[in-house]
Amino acid sequence: MTAPFESKNDPEQAGLEGLSVSELAARLREAEETIDAIRNGEVDAVVVGGPSGQQVYTLQNADRPYRVLIEQMQEGAVTLSGDGTVLYCNQCFATIIGIERENIIGHTITRFFGDAEIGTFLQLLARGLNTGASGEFVLHGAGIAAVPVNISLIDLKVDEETPRVVCCVVTDLTHSRRRTHELAAANILLGKEIEERRRAEGSLQLALDAAGMASWDLDLATRLVRRSVPHDRIFGHTRLLPAWHLETTLDQFLPEDRAAVAKAFAQASTSGAIEFEKRIRRSSDGAIRWLQVKGRTYYELGKPVRIAGIVADVTEFREIEERMRQAQKMEAVGHLTGGIAHDFNNLLTVILGNLETMQRRLGATATDLPQLRKLAEAATRGAQHAASLTQRLLAFSRHQPLDPKVLDANKLVSGMSDLLGRALGEQIAIEAVLNGDLWRTFADPNQLESAILNLAINARDAMPDGGTLTIATSNVDLDRAYANQESEVTPGSYVLIAIADTGIGMTKEVIAQAFDPFFTTKDTGQGTGLGLSQVYGFVKQSGGHAKIVSTPEAGTTVKIYLPRFAGQELPNEVEPETELPAAVPERAPARDRAETILVVDDDNDVRSHSTDIVRELGYRVIEASTGRAALEILDREPEIALLFSDVGLPGGMNGKQLADEAHRRHPHLKILFTSGYAKSAIVHDGRLDAGVQLVAKPFTFAILAKKISEMLKMDANVPTILVVEDDELVRMVAVDALELLGFRVEEAGSAREATDKFRAAPDSIQAALIDVGLPDQKGDELALTLRGIAAKLPIVIVSGYGSGIAQGPLKNETGIGFLGKPYGSTQLAAMLATVGIDAPAG
Amino acid sequence: MSDIQKELATSDLDIGEYALRLYVAGQTPKSLAAIANLRQICEDHLAGRYTIEVIDLLVTPQLAAGDQIVAVPTLVRRLPQPLKRIIGNLSDTERVIVGLDIRPKRSETI
Repeated sequence: MTAPFESKNDPEQAGLEGLSVSELAARLREAEETIDAIRNGEVDAVVVGGPSGQQVYTLQNADRPYRVLIEQMQEGAVTLSGDGTVLYCNQCFATIIGIERENIIGHTITRFFGDAEIGTFLQLLARGLNTGASGEFVLHGAGIAAVPVNISLIDLKVDEETPRVVCCVVTDLTHSRRRTHELAAANILLGKEIEERRRAEGSLQLALDAAGMASWDLDLATRLVRRSVPHDRIFGHTRLLPAWHLETTLDQFLPEDRAAVAKAFAQASTSGAIEFEKRIRRSSDGAIRWLQVKGRTYYELGKPVRIAGIVADVTEFREIEERMRQAQKMEAVGHLTGGIAHDFNNLLTVILGNLETMQRRLGATATDLPQLRKLAEAATRGAQHAASLTQRLLAFSRHQPLDPKVLDANKLVSGMSDLLGRALGEQIAIEAVLNGDLWRTFADPNQLESAILNLAINARDAMPDGGTLTIATSNVDLDRAYANQESEVTPGSYVLIAIADTGIGMTKEVIAQAFDPFFTTKDTGQGTGLGLSQVYGFVKQSGGHAKIVSTPEAGTTVKIYLPRFAGQELPNEVEPETELPAAVPERAPARDRAETILVVDDDNDVRSHSTDIVRELGYRVIEASTGRAALEILDREPEIALLFSDVGLPGGMNGKQLADEAHRRHPHLKILFTSGYAKSAIVHDGRLDAGVQLVAKPFTFAILAKKISEMLKMDANVPTILVVEDDELVRMVAVDALELLGFRVEEAGSAREATDKFRAAPDSIQAALIDVGLPDQKGDELALTLRGIAAKLPIVIVSGYGSGIAQGPLKNETGIGFLGKPYGSTQLAAMLATVGIDAPAG
Repeated sequence: MSDIQKELATSDLDIGEYALRLYVAGQTPKSLAAIANLRQICEDHLAGRYTIEVIDLLVTPQLAAGDQIVAVPTLVRRLPQPLKRIIGNLSDTERVIVGLDIRPKRSETI
C-alpha cells in the first residue's frame, strides 16, 4: 500500500538540498511508488527525455486498440517502405485482392498493378514526406476480376531511426462504381424520358395549334376544366380565364344547343367517349361558330374521374363542305339535265312527230289505217322508252323496291341469249361459260336481267369494231382477307356473274367513277350514265358486290357477286323468262271442246247445216225444232253451254221468247241467234241485248266457228273489275283497256264509292284495280277494306312507284298484284292473270 | 441569468476544489482504464466538486515535463494544494481516495 506524496515546491526547481527530512521522505516515497507501479505493470508507457525533448514510449501490446481498429476496418490498410515493399497489410486488403496476407507482406505492391498504372503509382509514392495523395487504380489480384480502388497514402516520418513508412488506405470501389454506373444510367434514361416527353408535348401543342385545335381536361369531381390559351381563344377569350368550369363551357353554347351539349358530357361518363358538333356564340365578336368537341373518359377503379379531349372551330370547314356538297349536287344535276334532257327530247320528238302525222292523216283521210297503226306504234314505243327511262331513274334513286326470288342465274342468262343477240348485233360474238353446279341466288330477276343487259350494251359500245362478249357464272367464296381489301364486302358465299368484253377498256380514273350516277364516257345524248349505277344499286340492294376489272385496250370485266341462296327452294320458283315485263301474257288455256250446244231451227236443212258445222268444230250437239222442245232439253241437260237458235220459230214461242225463258232458267247460258232478217225481235234501237249475239244468215263455216268459239271463250260470268281511280282520264284509259280485254267494268272515283259499290253487290265484282293514291283513303288500305268484305278478292294495286307499297299493310296478303304506271294492256292482262283473273277475250 | 448560466458560474466557482489532470499515452489499455476509473471515482465521491483534464502525451509530449511525468498513466491533483501524483491505472479505488485526500463536502463537515 503506497501513500500519496506531497510536494509544496515547484518540481522544476526541486533539489534535494535544503529539503526537510519529511520532504525527502515524501520524495523517496514518490520514487518508490513510481518504481512499484512500473514493476507492477500499472503503467504501459514511459516518458523519456531525449535530445529533442520529451518522448513517450508505449510498452508492448499497448497499441492493441490501434491494431484491432486497423484490422477490423472495412478499408484496406497497407504500410509501405519507400521502395514500395509491403510492410504490413490488414485482412481487408488481403480480401480485396484475394491473396493471403503472408504472400503480400514483404513483396512489392506494384505487382498488383497493371503496367500502365505502375508509373503513376510510383510517382504518387515519391511525392515526399508528409504529403498526402490519393488516386484511383485498378488492382489485379489472384483469381478475381480487376478491382477498382481508391488509394490514399501519406508519407510519414516516424522517427530518426525508423525508415520511411508510407501508410495507405485502400477503398474498394467495385460497389460504388456499380452504384454510380446504375445511377448514371438511370439519370440518362430519366433525362431522355423527360426530353422525349417535353418534345412530345411540344409537338402535340404545335400540331394542335396548326390544326386549329386546343386541348381540355375536365375533372369530374370539381367540374373544373384544365385547358390552354388556344382553348380559351377558340371560345373568343384573348386571355386565359382565371377559372373554367364545365358550366363555363355550357354557357357559351347557343341556348338551343346547350341541353344537347350537357347531355353529351353527362353521357360521356358512361359511354367512355364524347363527340359532337354544336354552335357557340363567340364572346369576342358574338359570332356564331361551329365547334367540334371530341374526347375520352378516363376511369380510376372503374369510376369516371376525368374527360379529356380537343376542341376545334370547324365553322369554315363546314362551310367549305357545304359548298362542296352543293357543287357536287349541281354537277350531278348538270349531268342529269344533259343526259336525260337529250334522251327525253329524242323520245318526245318521236312521240310528238308521230302524233302530228296521225292528226294530219286523220284530217285528210281516215282510211289509211295500217299507216296510222304504224304511227301509233311508233309513238307508243317512244313513250315506252320514256317510261323505261323513268324506271331507271327510280332504280337509281332506289325508290323501286326489289322483288327478289330464288333464281338460277344460268337459266336466266340462257334465256337472254336471243335478246342479247339482237341487242349486240352480228359483229359481236356471245359466249356463255356457265358453271353446271351453280348455286342458287336470291335476287330480283327483272333487275338482274336489266343489269346484264345494261352491261352487255356497255360492252357493245366498248367494241365498236366487234369482239366477243363472255358471260360466265361461277361459285365464289369471298373470305375475310378479300373482304378487308374491298370496302363494303361481307365475307361469304356468292354466285359470280362476270360480263367480259374485248373492248377498249377503262382507265383507273374511269373505273373509280364508273358506278357513280350520271357518269358516262359516252357522248352527250348517247347515255344517261345511269346504267352502271343501276347495276351497282341493284347489286348492293341485293346484298351483293360489284367490281370492275379493266385494262385499257384489252377489255373490261364487270363482276357481279350475288349472295348464295342457302335456304330451301321455294316451290314456286320463278322461271325468269316468264317474268319479263315485255313478255306476252299467257292466254287462257284452250278449252277442250266437249261443251254441248243446243241447235234450234224449224228448217231441217238449215238445222242440219248448222249441226254439221258445230259438230265439225268438235262440240257435242243436241237438236230441237221448237222452242218448247228446246226448253225441255235445256232443263234435262244442264251442261248445255250455248243455245244457237233461229229468231223465227213456229209454235207460239219465237227465238226471243225462248231465249228469255232459257236465260231465266239458266242464267249462265250463252245465246247466239241467227236470222235472215236484220232487225227483228232481238234488236232494240239498233243494239243487241246484253249477252246476246247474232250471226246473220247466210253464215259461212268460218263465221259461225269464230262466233261460237268467241262466245264459249267468254265465260258466262264475264269477270267484272272494279276500277278505283280518282283521275278521270286515267280511269278512262284503264276502263278502255279492261273492256278491250273483255272484262266488265265498274267504276269508282273514290275509296268510299268503291266500298259502297262493293258492299252493295260483292258477288257481282270479281276483282279490283285500285290506284294507290286516292283522295280519301290510301289504295292499300282500301284493298284491306275490300278484303274485309270478300277475303279472297283478287286485287291489283296501281302505283307510280312500281310495287312500292309491297312492304306496307299488304305484305301479309296473298293474291295481290302490283302494277307500275305507265302500263299497257298486256301488262294489265298479265298482272290480272297472276292474281287469278284471266281475260275473257284477246 | 438563465439556469444554465447559473450552473456554469457555480461550476467556475468550484473549479478550485479538486482540479485533476490525467496524463495518458494515446489509447494504451492502461490509459483507457485510467480514464474510465477516474471518471467513476470522481462521480462517486466528488460529484459536482471536480474538473478533469486529460492530456495525451502522444499528441503533446512536451507537456510531460511540466508535471515531471515519468510513467503513464499518471494522475496529478493540482488543486487543492499540495500537488499530488498517483501513478497507474487507478484500479484501486481506496488508494486513489487516500492519495487524493478526498474529504467530505464542507457543508457535511462536523
